[in-house]
Amino acid sequence: MTLPQNAIDLAAHVVARAKALGVDEISVGVSESTNTEISRREQRVEQASSSSTRRLGLSLLLDGRWSTHSTSDLREDALDVFLRRAVDATRWLEPDPDRALAPAELCGRGTSEGALDHYDRTWDTLSADDRADWAKRLEEAVLARKDDRFISASVDFSDGGGKHTQVTSNGFSDATEDAWFSFGGSVTLSDEGGRRPEGSSHYGARYLSDLPPVERVAEEAHRRAHEAIGSGPIESGRYPMILANRVAGRILGTLAGPIDGGSIHHGRTCLGDRLNTAIGSEHLTLIDDPTIPRGLGSTPWDDDLMVARPRVVIEKGVLRMHYLSTYYARKLGRPVTTGSASNWVVSPGPRDPAELSRALPKAILVTGWLGGNANPVTGDFSYGIRGKLLEYGEPTKGLSEMNVTGNIATIFHQLAEVANDPWMWSSTRSPTMLFHDVQFSGT
Amino acid sequence: MQDLTPSVEAHFAGFGVDDDLVRAALAAATTHGADFAELFFQHSTSTSIGLSDRLINRVHTSVDLGVGVRVVIGDQVGYAYTEDLELASVLRAAATASEIARGGGAPHPVSVLRRFPIPNLYPVSRSWDDVEIGERLPLVRAWEQRAFDLDARVRKVQVSLSDGTSQVYIARADGVRVGDVRPMTTAYLSVTVEDGDKKESGSYNVAGRTGIELYTPERQERLAKEAVHRAMQALDAGSPPAGEMPVVMAAGSSGILLHEAIGHGLEADFNRKGISIFADKMGQSIAHDTVTIVDDATIPGSRGALNVDDEGNATERTTLVQNGVLKGYLHDQISAKQYGVTPTGSGRRQSFRHPPLPRMRATYMEAGPHDPSAIIASVDRGIYCDSFSNGQVQIGGGDFAFFVRYGWMIEGGKLTRPVKDVNLIGNGPKVLAAIDMVGNDLEIDEGGWTCGKDGQGVAVSQGMPTVRVQKLSVGGGR
Repeated sequence: MTLPQNAIDLAAHVVARAKALGVDEISVGVSESTNTEISRREQRVEQASSSSTRRLGLSLLLDGRWSTHSTSDLREDALDVFLRRAVDATRWLEPDPDRALAPAELCGRGTSEGALDHYDRTWDTLSADDRADWAKRLEEAVLARKDDRFISASVDFSDGGGKHTQVTSNGFSDATEDAWFSFGGSVTLSDEGGRRPEGSSHYGARYLSDLPPVERVAEEAHRRAHEAIGSGPIESGRYPMILANRVAGRILGTLAGPIDGGSIHHGRTCLGDRLNTAIGSEHLTLIDDPTIPRGLGSTPWDDDLMVARPRVVIEKGVLRMHYLSTYYARKLGRPVTTGSASNWVVSPGPRDPAELSRALPKAILVTGWLGGNANPVTGDFSYGIRGKLLEYGEPTKGLSEMNVTGNIATIFHQLAEVANDPWMWSSTRSPTMLFHDVQFSGT
Repeated sequence: MQDLTPSVEAHFAGFGVDDDLVRAALAAATTHGADFAELFFQHSTSTSIGLSDRLINRVHTSVDLGVGVRVVIGDQVGYAYTEDLELASVLRAAATASEIARGGGAPHPVSVLRRFPIPNLYPVSRSWDDVEIGERLPLVRAWEQRAFDLDARVRKVQVSLSDGTSQVYIARADGVRVGDVRPMTTAYLSVTVEDGDKKESGSYNVAGRTGIELYTPERQERLAKEAVHRAMQALDAGSPPAGEMPVVMAAGSSGILLHEAIGHGLEADFNRKGISIFADKMGQSIAHDTVTIVDDATIPGSRGALNVDDEGNATERTTLVQNGVLKGYLHDQISAKQYGVTPTGSGRRQSFRHPPLPRMRATYMEAGPHDPSAIIASVDRGIYCDSFSNGQVQIGGGDFAFFVRYGWMIEGGKLTRPVKDVNLIGNGPKVLAAIDMVGNDLEIDEGGWTCGKDGQGVAVSQGMPTVRVQKLSVGGGR
């Protein structure tokens, strides 16, 4: 017989075929997507690409043994060989009693495709000329701002869309479609000593109409490049830190490891025993919300195919949940929550971001990152930064070649205020944040 | 030298890829003219098994198949790929790439075929496809047991063994036809240790473009021993003071400094666009005369080894800095044409889904004259870095950073107390100029390093002798 072309039929076919090979339980996903990208430099197209992809992934259980597999070779004979090898490989494993598909009664979608609103039908009709026009207009806006320091600029416009279909042996069968758009530009300027500081600005959104005007991207790329001119380190010490909204995800993201069920189970966490205790100040409330219309992290179901719903992660500084998939919940003997983050939304404060630093004699505004990492066991982190020294809210020096150092378990106790400007073009929607007494290293 | 191409052609013939298909696709790709066009066929298989909770309880297998079509006119690139190797799909991808790149150049006839032998830098005793899962299991189990045996404070052990084979076939409009068979394997072991109320983790990995023979008894022992040793060292480690200080980089994985501080900046695409801080420094002295830096695709079995690059060009050992003087860039086909030089075999890509870019392979500094112990003894107060996790660079400004997972304080010329988890940051040209002692102990690191650029990850190697950097900003001081 010929393989079904329809994704849901193909997935169902694989479920049936695997069951015939002796598999006890199986979950099959088919991902289909089309992506296009165009970049311009020196007033012409530098690179353009366009491709469609179709890939099949599965996880299976056989005599208590669990495995995952994926392939893009979807020829009928090849798929059969792939499945047989997957089953054979699984038989070598040792049983893991905590592996199971999520109970059928917990699976499904909590939000309709319409309510998630993550498929812009504009994408269906976007032509090559439309894409070329977006990139051209963006480049024109960037070049319109060039000055004597200008060396080079590049811009890009990309988009994609697709469908993910999932079928399981215990009755789940559904599909979700989404589309996305992103664009941005980078500007390189000349500086003393042969330095060529660069600034960039990029945005992503579910709807084309949600992207900001090209002039905003151009202005930000130029401004960020100019801010890097003459930048350097200042004396090491403890300063108030203003964390710009678009880069706050890096520090918030350090929380993700220590509150993940896998980290907790394997002992790689500094927050495994901190549930329902304060891990930050009352200014921090963090919601995981997979139901936000047009949210970049929105999803109808989680990794276990369980109904995705909003959850309070941190409430006024108190840690309210760990991320526990069905597997790690069973390992830890605790109730399941969900296995991974969707959209992280930090509750905003009342004031404009500029107000946060106005009364401070000195503060460091962090606008970008360079390298660094965090240790989830101890909570210690150390990240390179770029930014500005603010004196009573006014920028007085561009900063680079500096690091910020702290600890995940304590840094949020130093959170003094959050502003009213959540960054909307990311799955982490954080306002600008003010932290007191943060360690920076420079000269 | 060897000629793998016939066997690779036979392999892809099994997918219906024959000379007729290749010629038709290249003709479609060059319909609207092209200075250069290529097809990059790839078929990859991989297996990863994992151990945790004292169970070998995870296996993942993967198959990836497809062809990428690139059409180049000047420095403009059209790119498309398909996972379906049927003639109609390949022609559609070729037509798409051609249409994208449309806009100049003369139609490029498919030339007389050109084939050439390539070196055999990664011979394997057996393909990973022929290694039974059952052969891998005793290795993984033994590594776990060894880690537990090494210290009673080891509480948890996780192990993974990943391997695979990628067959690539490159067919170019200028007639070049070349195939390669590329193995790769990585073993990773991590431990969680507890001592009273103190808890830490440590990990180590070994990797190579090779077969199961990578796992010699010595290397297996090192895998467990280093992971446990690092975790134990971390139990007693603290944070170093913050600020600028001398830094001694240990031999081996300290090559991350070269990778970030200079390697990316010498990739020719950044220079032909004028956005690298090294764009106007060719022929200039940029480092002490004891500093010679190379990027080498010819180290047998290393992650960065390549018999042929992903554009079908011969690979080589490329000198970037010779006795402190900037000598060369890493070129792909496009930049080499623009600079009027021969490609350095540095055109690489993550897979058929991506167009190639100039990339590093194995980047290292050649050994210098100094005794490593004398280098440490020369520092009154600074830090010694011997294990790293990640790094990053800003190409234009030259600022770079790398994260030191484990190291030591140097006080009075001696290693005094362990430090950990600290980001070091500096400016590439300034730091290169600040390397004033180079050890005689070059090591190529055996770890599984992956370099990211433009959303593409490729396997690389790096190496370094012990060196002293007069001054770097250390992100410590908590």
